[in-house]
Amino acid sequence: MTLSDAVHEPDLAVHVEDLTVAYHAKPVLWDVDLDVPPGVMAAIVGPNGAGKSTLIQAIMGLVRPTAGHVFVHGRPYAEQRHRVGYVPQRTSVDWDFPTTVADVVTMGLYGRLGWLRRPGRAERRQADAALEQVGMLEYRDRQIAQLSGGQQQRTFLARALVQDADVYFLDEPMAGVDATSEQAILSVLRDLRDRGRTVVVVHHDLQTVAATFDWVLLLNVRAIAQGPVSEVYTAENLQSAYGGQIALLGQLELGSQHDTHEGHTS
Amino acid sequence: MFRPSTKSGAGRRNQRLGSQLRPRLVPSTCASSSKAGPARLARALLLPFGAAALGTVMLATPTTTFAQDDPLNVVATVGMVADIAAEIGGECVTVVALMGPGVDPHLYQATSGDVRDLGRAELILYVGLSLEGQLGEVLDRFGRRTPTVAVGEDAIPPAELIRTSDAYGVDPHVWMDVSLWARIVPGIREAMLDALRGARDDAANLAACQEGMHLRAERLAHQLEALHDWVASATSTIPEHQRILVTAHDAFTYYGRAYGLDVIGIQGVSTESEAGVADIRSTAATIRNAGVPAVFIETTINPRTIQAVLDAAADLGHEARLGGSLYSDAMGQPGTPDGTYLGMLRANTVAIVEALGGQPPELPEALSDWANRHGLGGRQP
Amino acid sequence: METLASLAGDYTVRTVAAGALLLGVTSGALGAFAVLRKQSLLGDVLSHAALPGVALGFLIAGGRSFAAVLAGALVTGVAAALTMLLLTRRSRLKTDAALGIALGSFFAAGVVLLSYVQGRAGAGQAGLETFLFGQAAATLRSDVWLMAGISIVAIGLVLAAWKEFSAVTFDPVFAASIGLPVAILDATMTAMIALAVVLGLQMVGVVLMSAMVVAPAVAARQWTNRLGIMVLLSALFGAVGGVAGALISASGRGLATGPLIVLALTAIAGFSLAFAPNRGLVSAALLRALERRSLADRRVLGALEALALQHDDPGYPSEQGMLDAYLGTASGWRLRRLRQHGWVRRVRHRPEEGIHWRLTEAGARRARDARSEERADMRGEGGNR
Repeated sequence: MTLSDAVHEPDLAVHVEDLTVAYHAKPVLWDVDLDVPPGVMAAIVGPNGAGKSTLIQAIMGLVRPTAGHVFVHGRPYAEQRHRVGYVPQRTSVDWDFPTTVADVVTMGLYGRLGWLRRPGRAERRQADAALEQVGMLEYRDRQIAQLSGGQQQRTFLARALVQDADVYFLDEPMAGVDATSEQAILSVLRDLRDRGRTVVVVHHDLQTVAATFDWVLLLNVRAIAQGPVSEVYTAENLQSAYGGQIALLGQLELGSQHDTHEGHTS
Repeated sequence: MFRPSTKSGAGRRNQRLGSQLRPRLVPSTCASSSKAGPARLARALLLPFGAAALGTVMLATPTTTFAQDDPLNVVATVGMVADIAAEIGGECVTVVALMGPGVDPHLYQATSGDVRDLGRAELILYVGLSLEGQLGEVLDRFGRRTPTVAVGEDAIPPAELIRTSDAYGVDPHVWMDVSLWARIVPGIREAMLDALRGARDDAANLAACQEGMHLRAERLAHQLEALHDWVASATSTIPEHQRILVTAHDAFTYYGRAYGLDVIGIQGVSTESEAGVADIRSTAATIRNAGVPAVFIETTINPRTIQAVLDAAADLGHEARLGGSLYSDAMGQPGTPDGTYLGMLRANTVAIVEALGGQPPELPEALSDWANRHGLGGRQP
Repeated sequence: METLASLAGDYTVRTVAAGALLLGVTSGALGAFAVLRKQSLLGDVLSHAALPGVALGFLIAGGRSFAAVLAGALVTGVAAALTMLLLTRRSRLKTDAALGIALGSFFAAGVVLLSYVQGRAGAGQAGLETFLFGQAAATLRSDVWLMAGISIVAIGLVLAAWKEFSAVTFDPVFAASIGLPVAILDATMTAMIALAVVLGLQMVGVVLMSAMVVAPAVAARQWTNRLGIMVLLSALFGAVGGVAGALISASGRGLATGPLIVLALTAIAGFSLAFAPNRGLVSAALLRALERRSLADRRVLGALEALALQHDDPGYPSEQGMLDAYLGTASGWRLRRLRQHGWVRRVRHRPEEGIHWRLTEAGARRARDARSEERADMRGEGGNR
């Protein structure tokens, strides 16, 4: 690919062009363009089967796209792996695995350690720091089978945090999680955003989008609309994205009604 | 003619031809009743003369009998039976063996090719005594419509069989004692003649075959007797204290009983049982205690078992060597001397006797014919 | 019955036991990863699919060359594993269906080839049937050296790439996202398991080999929650089962070694499933029973406490009949047990009335603590026990 020599769209944290993924001739994603500016907390929303998880996986090369390319901070994704952190869905793993919270978090550093090197004191410190950030330090030696859903999610988040990445992709991190954990996770994400990192979250709850995120992509196989929440998160766009599937449209907090950059609590 | 199991089916076209050439030797003597005319007379005279001429032509060809054109189709299970049957039947029969060299009859299961062969057979011969363990049902089925004879079971009186303690109750390896195996000769001869009588209606054929088979059977019996004596004298040259035969499974008990050797097999009688650690250990101990110089493998058995025994005996301080390969449940390659029953016993005896420190004598007069025929020059053993 | 000492000194027993030990260690250690990856039946596919390779190796090499037979087994085994992989990736088949297809077709081909070889006019194909159930007793010293070499390589690889293997086993998707070569690691692990399986073929046979990969790992999982300990235990159990099977079969004539090894391993696994602390069935049942009892106790204490509160008398004597009615069940024996703990005391109230019970001070404290424990549980703190 000749594109790898040039720097392409360096001002964007994530630049996706023409991304298409099709399983057995049925497209899951089609002609998706995505331009995420740096330093935002972005949400990807859409109905079930809209391809939200697939989009993240295709961006990270975990799923092979039929067409399209992905650039992170101006360079192809393949060169920027170390600058991207990933928090997959909690249910993607069998939690009955014999390992501790600390071990899981340390796994985030394996890519950096290289072959034959064992994680040492430096790695332990990094892992503990990440655990501290998500409020899980006291659980570091606990078996992951004994964790609640929220604790599992925070462990996954810590695993991504140790990578000290510039862009984070999270797949439904707040689904099925108790209130304490949700708070902890949001606080970490906001902190990342405030420090200039980019956070992209596949979000499941339409109600909380406006209060939580600055930037949104409405996705339903195609990119319906994307941009700052205040401009894009409108009833009209939601109708387009969801077809007739939104029953409680009137009760949603929409973008145009709220200033999302400062002072939201809860 | 004896053909081993090649599954090619090429040689069986002959049978078809036979039925077309069946001239009548007995001319029709009854003249036609009234109708006159020299034409009829000429025709009446033409027939016997034509037949006589044709008959003369055919008789003129040396060593040709009519039966050659339509030999009895005999199917035998193991080569040892097939060889005997072929020797007796000569050109009156075509013998096919289902199991070739290296095939284990205890474990052999019939393939669809075998079933086809059995379907075409006019006589089926097998050993019996539970040797062909997996063929029981098949033989049963064919036994209902084709003459099927358990030659071993029929010919050998139960009193002379060796009992075993396993599920089969009796040791089927009776061909290892030549004097016992010779007993199947009359039975096979009669079975083949009966089958011929039943399946062919050519009296002259039958008479010729009957005479031929009797002659050949008697010659074979002489050969077997001579072989039996020769084996006995060969084994007697083994030093007294070394007359122990150690081999992979108990196929040689009859041989041991007939020719004065103690036989130790590592597995049980049938190869279906697996040799365990204890089996190997006790055999190694026995070898060491008896001071046996050599141990034998069989063509149908895994040679690693024997090697394990030798290694164990070596560790106990007794160096025994591999005395060679013996034919136990199957003969050698067809076309070689070892591919016949006589050859099988000869080869086994030579290997055993030489490895255990004896010196086998020359082959007797009665077997020199056989030796020459198979390219074993002179009467060297 | 011979003594263990005399058995242990015997050459054959030592050789077979050494081979079984090496096999147990290797298949146990590798099997731990296979089981955690939910690929337990991979060993089954590899071993059953080895059968056509065994027959082909014999046909091609023209004799009983052990190396050719093992090489053939490895080739067809790996081919079957790849077939399974392709079937799951390229079609809609799930792993178990793909497994059934791969295993069935390769094994059937193997049986056909074996019967073909059996019927051929060629001496020396003897003993190929021993690959079905193995002939462990016929293990030679040279076999043991070969097994030792392969075991060292396999264990060495696992140790060297320990963190990569554990990451890929736990979360292959995440491992891929941080740049670990998941496909290569997967293939390497599969190849190593295939190698272990092929080694075990002549000892335990095609049909039973999968048990050697699965049973030790299942047993090990029951005793520990740490991956390193689990792999170690799995190797240990494999070794113990192997040696035990070898020794037992040495003790009497006519005892097939391979199947006995598998039985020993299964016994270990069965015992572990039943009696391991925490995860064992028996311990879990005991734990549940204890919890039920403690819950019932708390109810009784709670009832006494409530009554005491209502009557504003911490030492209020409640009549047993009243307690029974309140709790909906006969509580006499429970109260007696609580008395043994010192939490309640029997009192006589009026001579014509029945037994009365009252809380002791310790009992009152216990009732209070139980209440606050319950509230904490309901708030969801501390996760599961």
